[in-house]
Amino acid sequence: MSRSTRWLWSAAILAYAFLYIPLAIVVMYSFNDSRLNAEWVGFTLFWYEALLNNKEMLLAARNSLIIALSASFSATLLGTMAGLAIHRYKLKVLPVLVFTPVAMPEILLGVSLLLFFLQVLNLTLGMISIIIAHTTFCIGFVAVIVRARLQGMDESIFEAARDLGASPWQTFRLITLPLIMPAVVAGALMSFTLSIDDFVITFFTKGVGEPILPIQIYTMIKVAVTPEVNAVSTLLMLLTLIMIIIAGKLEARNMEAAGGEAGK
Amino acid sequence: MSIRASARTHLGAILLFLLPALILFTTGCARQDESEAVPGRGENVLHLFNWNNYIAPETVRHFEKFCNCKLSQDYYSDNEEMLAKLAAGATGYDLIVPTGNAMDTLIRQGALRPLDKSLLPNLRNINPAYLETVFDPGNKYSVPYAYTLTLLGFNEEKIRELELPTDTWAIIFEPKYLKKIKGRVTVLDSQRELMAAALKYLGYSVNDTDEEHWKQAAELIVRAKPYWAAFSNTSYIKELAVGNLWLAHGYSNDMFQAALDAKKTGRGFTIGYSTPREGAVLALDSMVLQRSGNRPDLAHQFINFMLEGRNSAELTNLIGSGNPNMDAMQYIRPEIANNKAIFPDPELLARLEMLRDLDRKQRRSLSRLWTEIKLR
Amino acid sequence: MTKKAEQGRTEGRAEERAEVGIKERTARQRMAKFFVAGPPLVFLTVFFVVPSLIMIATSFRFPGEFGGLAPIAAPVVSAHVSQGLEYGFTLEAYQFFFSDILYAKIFLKSFAVAAATTLICLVMAYPLALLISRSKKHLRNLMVLLVVLPFASNFLIRIYAWMIILGPESGLSYFINAVLGALGITPITLLFSPFAVLVGMVYVHLPFMVLPLYTNLEKHDPALLDAAQDLGATRWQRFWRVTWPLSLPGVFSGAALVFIPVLGMFAVPDILGGTGDILIGNLIKDQFLGTRDWPFGSVLAIMLTLAVLAIAGLAAWFARSAVGQRAT
Repeated sequence: MSRSTRWLWSAAILAYAFLYIPLAIVVMYSFNDSRLNAEWVGFTLFWYEALLNNKEMLLAARNSLIIALSASFSATLLGTMAGLAIHRYKLKVLPVLVFTPVAMPEILLGVSLLLFFLQVLNLTLGMISIIIAHTTFCIGFVAVIVRARLQGMDESIFEAARDLGASPWQTFRLITLPLIMPAVVAGALMSFTLSIDDFVITFFTKGVGEPILPIQIYTMIKVAVTPEVNAVSTLLMLLTLIMIIIAGKLEARNMEAAGGEAGK
Repeated sequence: MSIRASARTHLGAILLFLLPALILFTTGCARQDESEAVPGRGENVLHLFNWNNYIAPETVRHFEKFCNCKLSQDYYSDNEEMLAKLAAGATGYDLIVPTGNAMDTLIRQGALRPLDKSLLPNLRNINPAYLETVFDPGNKYSVPYAYTLTLLGFNEEKIRELELPTDTWAIIFEPKYLKKIKGRVTVLDSQRELMAAALKYLGYSVNDTDEEHWKQAAELIVRAKPYWAAFSNTSYIKELAVGNLWLAHGYSNDMFQAALDAKKTGRGFTIGYSTPREGAVLALDSMVLQRSGNRPDLAHQFINFMLEGRNSAELTNLIGSGNPNMDAMQYIRPEIANNKAIFPDPELLARLEMLRDLDRKQRRSLSRLWTEIKLR
Repeated sequence: MTKKAEQGRTEGRAEERAEVGIKERTARQRMAKFFVAGPPLVFLTVFFVVPSLIMIATSFRFPGEFGGLAPIAAPVVSAHVSQGLEYGFTLEAYQFFFSDILYAKIFLKSFAVAAATTLICLVMAYPLALLISRSKKHLRNLMVLLVVLPFASNFLIRIYAWMIILGPESGLSYFINAVLGALGITPITLLFSPFAVLVGMVYVHLPFMVLPLYTNLEKHDPALLDAAQDLGATRWQRFWRVTWPLSLPGVFSGAALVFIPVLGMFAVPDILGGTGDILIGNLIKDQFLGTRDWPFGSVLAIMLTLAVLAIAGLAAWFARSAVGQRAT
């Protein structure tokens, strides 16, 4: 066992290194005292200071967080339902609806949603239109993961619950949800990062005069990748990390409490 | 631990994860109300759909003070991005700053509102050479804002060392020059711009639509392609400035930026840029009013404000854009005002051309040609 | 007993019970089905099917003279509009697509890149996902988080970071070229090459492979592996006969989540690619943000979607027959 574990660890460390080396560069250059991301000149916090004085950027970050949280919430909810329904009921239409947005090039989804919002719904573009658009393309990602989790799972446990007279809701809440939880969390994380990072669909579905982070960053990058952009990225990661850690801590505390209760 | 308990904890965790979202939502909304309350519930706002980085921050401040309103900007980095969004029906912008050919399209679509020139006394500051363009005879809809040239930027030391010419398109098309700088050259990732350079080099107009001439230009491009590192629309700025590239086909603003960056970081070389003698593309960006804008009054105020030399010069001093405003020249830093690549002399000006829009059939066949070029 | 047979038995039992016909329960189940399948169905019908229909209709129209679309009804000829404009519906864009082998070539090339990306992602993600699923519970969440965290930063920033790493002045370039030089091979450039495109594609899509794999591997019962070991299976046999077949659903969903988005991606070839790196995503983007040819852009996208669905169908069929074979 130990030899295979060692082998796994080295492969995993390589993968993590692959993921984190570019990131290290991003973070490092956010403290670099040079406008060009080219070589190390000296340490500075100037870019963070500039960032905190950039009202538009802060507003954009806030807007994007709201969008990402709302979109990932609704996509996780709908995607989990879709994943469950597809697995359980052998549906014909739903799988196509769920998985085709994943198969569709982003730009097409962006343009078609824009046409739809403007010419069919006559909606004023804004946060709502972006949230809807992001939800649409995230649902598929969540559903795929949830379904992969359910596939090949022992069905007898659900049967047993039903035999014991559990209602569908009870079965879901007490059996299914805990079992698929890792997939739900993974799907939520994925939707969040997809949403906060999306440029193409956001560009098309955003309204007038509302700064959104990916657009703002794209605007800055078009001129040049300045360390200020790196600073934004670093802060975003930090914020995400903190949010997830707090959620994890709360869950752990909850679990202890629940564990105690269950023990009685 | 019982299953029931674990389910409850998971639900709890989800809800708690959503808590920050809720908090953000509520506080966020509150803050937005506040910020909108200042300029009068979002009414006194001018919506500008502008190029990235195409107005100096101090100009924004000065204008907001001057008009006692708020200037809200959305950005595009390509005329086509802006046109696509408008073509799908996006409305609500007061002002747009399209390039000539895109403006042509907007005018012909009937998307623009005619100007009221009585509100624009400063229009007299504009150099007549930049008025009365083919796109908008009589300037019914548009007022020139700034312009850029498509030209060659290069690492002066390297190019001198290799004894290469910099005043001709030959340097990006002729293998005899290119073989000395293989892999250190980029050209624009733009069908129209690259074709324009090739057509100019062959002695045709940038607006030539003769299929035969296009084929010749495509051959020229395919022959030179193996020597180029990439098609690049933006990254050449930095790559020139750090020394990875020695030659780039690009926009004068970007070359200005690259030269500045190279200087600031104390690189051992300088970035120069010059307009090939065969002629090049001049892109004149103009301020126009979208028909559906709510505040034509503010838009006129803005245009007249930007026509003041002092305000117009701020942009040129920031990004090195060409300036059609005669009154602005006195405020422009001399090293920019005297740069012939930014302010071409009359002789060169005569050899510059503005791109005209292609019709839909031409657009489709150029797109196919371009795909072919890239795949070869 | 095999999985398939077991599943068949439970399904059989369910049917039996339905026949027994506890009416109230079936009604309840139908209600549940309605509640679970209904909301996503409605949402996607409104916000995906309808816009898609608009796009499909677009593919049968003429591009507008100035971008957008030509009108459906005959245009009112005014001073602005020249006469002789097309209107109504047409197969022109489809004809254009099939008139040139060029577009088929780009499709093939894009599918090759997508396949290569998927394969590399799988090879990199599998050990990682396996390790995470076998770690202690509190470590697991942290390790998953570490996979996703880089993706909270901006996508373009990460690609630009690769520009630095692969650039001609980077340590990696120096190292590789020093090695190649010692072997007597002419130096190579890493940036602006198909290699750089592949690196960027793998980097961007790796978590989409790790997450489904992990969620699948995590539910495997370690007792199965112990049992296999007790029966004298070697380490390799345990993986190949137990873990791998059980993880196939994860592998397939991961592959789908990598393969498909790669096809639509245009930013990576734009930024990291050289003069020949054009993929179908770039071509589609260009129709909307370059050539202003929406009908042709829609045709390309429809063809791409059809091709993807065909491949997905084939893969599902293969998977089913493979699983079936193993079960018998």
